[in-house]
Amino acid sequence: MSMSAAILMVAVWGIIIALCVFCFYKVFSKKD
Amino acid sequence: MPQVDLTGGALMSKGREQWGTKLGVILAVAGSAVGLGNFLRFPTQAALGGGGAFMIPYLVSFLLLGIPLMWVEWSLGRKGGEYGHGTAPAILYKITGSRFIKYFASIGIIIPLLILFYYAFIESWSLAYAFFSVSGALTEAAGKNELAEFLHGYQGVVSNQYFDSIWLAYGFFVVTIVVNFYFIYKGVSSGIEKLSKIAMPILVVIAILLVGRILTLGTPDPLKPDQSVMNALNFVWTPDFSVLLESKVWLSAAGQIFFTLSLGMGVIMTYASYLKKSDDIALSGLTASATNEFCEVILGGSLIIPAAFIFFGQVQTVQIAQSGSFNIGFVTMPNIFANMPGGPVFASLWFILLFIAGITSSVSMIQPAVAFLEDEFGFSRKKTVLIMFGLTFLACQPVIFFMKYGFLDELDFWGGTVFLTIFATLEIVVFGWIYGIDKGWKDLNEGAEIKIPSIFRFIIKYISPLFLFILLGTWTYQMFIPTIMMKGVPDENRPYIWGARIFILAIIGVMMYLIKITTEKRPEVSK
Repeated sequence: MSMSAAILMVAVWGIIIALCVFCFYKVFSKKD
Repeated sequence: MPQVDLTGGALMSKGREQWGTKLGVILAVAGSAVGLGNFLRFPTQAALGGGGAFMIPYLVSFLLLGIPLMWVEWSLGRKGGEYGHGTAPAILYKITGSRFIKYFASIGIIIPLLILFYYAFIESWSLAYAFFSVSGALTEAAGKNELAEFLHGYQGVVSNQYFDSIWLAYGFFVVTIVVNFYFIYKGVSSGIEKLSKIAMPILVVIAILLVGRILTLGTPDPLKPDQSVMNALNFVWTPDFSVLLESKVWLSAAGQIFFTLSLGMGVIMTYASYLKKSDDIALSGLTASATNEFCEVILGGSLIIPAAFIFFGQVQTVQIAQSGSFNIGFVTMPNIFANMPGGPVFASLWFILLFIAGITSSVSMIQPAVAFLEDEFGFSRKKTVLIMFGLTFLACQPVIFFMKYGFLDELDFWGGTVFLTIFATLEIVVFGWIYGIDKGWKDLNEGAEIKIPSIFRFIIKYISPLFLFILLGTWTYQMFIPTIMMKGVPDENRPYIWGARIFILAIIGVMMYLIKITTEKRPEVSK
C-alpha cells in the first residue's frame, strides 16, 4: 500500500473513530 | 390533543410521546441516516471521485454543511415539540408566522413519503435476497453468470426462467411494509426506539464481520497476484489530488454528505420533536452523525469496492462503480460472495445488513406523516396507522408495476434530490435569518452536553446557506433542468414520467389542503 494511501486511511479512520469514542463516552458517562 | 398551559402561554404537549433514553434517540436518528446509501452509494462516489482525495471535500462538507444542518434540524424539531408539533409546516409557521412558509414547508412531510414509496420496495428486495442466499437460488444464478437476469425477473421487468411473474416480489413487499408499520404502531419509544437499539448494534456487528471477511481474503486468485487486499485498499485510498480542482468532485462530496445524513427530509425534525425542552441536542446530533460516518467511511468504504477489486481487478471495478447502486448491491455482490468459501452465509449477511439499514430508515420516513395526523388532527395511533398503511400500500403500486418505465427514478429525482435540497435551504435560512441566529444559537445550546465551538454560529448563518445555494444553483443547471425536460428519456417512458409528476402534484395538493384544515382547527395561540 502506498505511503500516501496508508496515511490518509489511518488519518481518516482515526478522526472518525476518535469522534465516535468521544461522543459515546460522553453519552454513557451521563445518566439518563 | 395538546392542552393549553395556563401558566406559560405555550401549548404544552401533554400526552405526546417521548423518547425513553438518550441512547435510544441517537440510535434512532443514526438508524434513519444509515441506509442503503452508506454501503452502496458512498463507496462508488469515493472511488469515482479521486479515491482518498475525495475524503478532503467530504470531510470539509461534513464540517460546513452536514453537522450544522444536523444541529439545525434537531433544534427546530425540539422547538416544535415544545408546542406539540412534530412536522415542518406547523413548526416553521410557529416560529416565523409566515403562511407562505407554512405551505411551502409541506415538502417536509411529502419528501419522506415520496422516498418511502420506492424505498420500501427496494428494502423488500434485500429481505427476499437474504432468503435466496440460503435457499441456493442465488448461488445457482451466480454459477451461470445470470444474476442480472435473476434481478430483472424478480423485479418483474421481464419474465424469465427464474421468475415468471412479480408476485413473489410483491409478497416480500407486503411483508416488509407490515413489519414497518408494526414498529410504527408500537410507537416512538416501544417501537422505533426499541427497533433501533437492537438493529443498530446488529448492523454494526454484521458489517464488521463482512469487512473482516473481505480484508482477510489475501489474494484469492494466485494467477492474478495484483488483485490483493492491499492493492484493493490502495485503490480506494490513494489520493488523486488533482480532482480537488474539479468542482464536480466538491459537489459530489457535498451531495453525499447531505444524503447520507438524511438531511432536508424532515425526519430528523420529527424525531427531535419527541425530545423534552431540556434534552441535549448538541451531543446527540454529533453522535448520530459520527455513527453514520463510521458506518459509511469505515464499514461501507471497506466492502464493495475492495471486494470488487480483489475479484475483478481495477478496470472492471471502475465499470462496476459506474453501473449504479442496484447493480452493485444485487448483482455484483452476490457474484463476489459466490466466489468465496462460505459464500451463501456471507451473502445472506450482506442482504440482512441491507435490510436492517433499510428498515431503520424507512420507519423514520413514515413517522412525519404519522406525527402530522396525530399532532394536527388528534387521530389515535390505531387510526393513523391504518390510514398510513392503506395510503402507503396504494402509493407503492405504481412504483412496483411501473418500475421499468422510470416511475421510481422520477420519485427519487423529485423527493430524493430536488425537494430535499430546497427544504434544507429553507430550514437553514429560517433558522439563521428569519428566526434569527441569536435565538437559534441559544436554542441549540439549551441542555447541551458539549460546548459547540462558537465558529459554528458563523458557519450556520453564512457558510452553510451559501454552500446550499451553490449546490441548488449548480444542480438546477446541470441536473434538474435536463431531467425536467426529460432529456434522453425513451418515448415509451414519457407517459409514466408524466404520471409520476401528476402523482406528486396530487400529493402536494392534498397536503396543502390538509394543512389549511389544520390551521382552521387549531388557530395558533400567541407565544
